[in-house]
Amino acid sequence: MPHAASLLRVARRLAPDPATAEDLVQETYLRAWRSFAQFQIGTNIRAWLFRILFNAFYARGRQITAGPIVVSLDAPGVEREPRRAAGLSFADAAEVIAALDSLSAEHRTVILLAVVEGFTCREIAEILAVPIGTVMSRLSRGRQAMRDWLLAASPPKVLQVRAGAGRVEKEC
Amino acid sequence: MNCADICELAPLYVAGDLDTRRAAEFDAHLKTCSSCIVELEAQARLDARLREVLLSEEVDVARVNRRIREMLAQQSLEAAVKSVEPRRGRWMTAAMGMAAAFMLFVAGYLLIPSHVSQVYADAAEDHQSEVIDRSPRPWLSDPAQIEALAEKQGIGVAIPGELASGYRLARGKICRLDDRVYLHLVYGDGTREFSLFLRARDTEHLDARIRGFSNGRLLRECASGNEHLASFTTPYLDAIVATDDSAAASLEDAKLASDAVRD
Repeated sequence: MPHAASLLRVARRLAPDPATAEDLVQETYLRAWRSFAQFQIGTNIRAWLFRILFNAFYARGRQITAGPIVVSLDAPGVEREPRRAAGLSFADAAEVIAALDSLSAEHRTVILLAVVEGFTCREIAEILAVPIGTVMSRLSRGRQAMRDWLLAASPPKVLQVRAGAGRVEKEC
Repeated sequence: MNCADICELAPLYVAGDLDTRRAAEFDAHLKTCSSCIVELEAQARLDARLREVLLSEEVDVARVNRRIREMLAQQSLEAAVKSVEPRRGRWMTAAMGMAAAFMLFVAGYLLIPSHVSQVYADAAEDHQSEVIDRSPRPWLSDPAQIEALAEKQGIGVAIPGELASGYRLARGKICRLDDRVYLHLVYGDGTREFSLFLRARDTEHLDARIRGFSNGRLLRECASGNEHLASFTTPYLDAIVATDDSAAASLEDAKLASDAVRD
């Protein structure tokens, strides 16, 4: 089925269990079927399906949201110094997943859509019905939070790789 | 533009969404800031790692596909029942039209048109899931192992390692189409791939519209979902080609395969 695998992959990272993720995807296709008159032929049907998926997700009041982050990184006044993170790409699969799951649903969503599903910031803004600046901010802060998590989780490996790659002295 | 701006604007820069002025500022900053280049490269590697990890996770979409098919079949049935009620209005006509359009555009093979055999629909779904979406599956890439697998399935002809136009056998595995076991082969030329499904000849032929001949064999063609499929038979084989390209491309792929598969 077109796009079902992508939708399910994202839903699984939003929902607390596989059954709820499958419910979300099923609900997405049901909503799509019922509101197909609203679809503009020639536009991006994949983005349209993802928009419906997130509408379904939000309609459930986010009570199904998985993830432990409580403090929003979008909150005004939360300023974080960017850290250098050369070598983090060598992180174990489990560490990468754990770092992703440590993010708030908002940041995880943007990371998934941009990095894994390949949507542009503009498309993500339309899918999530938020300003493009918000998408950029969430993407940047989400990535930074993931790197912070990975650096904290495995300092020996990171230090080793950083040493091999050459230490970056300049801080921005 | 400072280093923090570079981090934040990088996705827009890569997507070509930055306006000319800011794109120029972005370029100018990178020319003088090696640490930002290191940072962007590190981020790109981490992105690639995240993508690799998540795309290699097993996503069992079969069950949810089945649930959606059943749900849409139920919805269609309910709409059909309502449409024959005495007080039906124009909205029902529109609803039925919507349903048909939805099936065509979104879920072309959720509810398979009666003229498309299940075997083609399954081949289309396999190709989409395993070749286009690259769902992780245990593929064999060693030609000798693939040949042995074919023999085990009663396919008594040599599996072509190369086709014309530079296509080479990339991988193979066993799959099920319409509850029959097929050998799923993937051929690629470095820029695109198509699937070739092979099975020892069945008494039931692969029914679809005849679109041409190759090597003295009939070529049949149909579409299911986003995929175009073409088939041919030899005295000992049933063969189906699946591609997400055009109908013409599927027929061209089938010709290549037919030319390489001997009687």
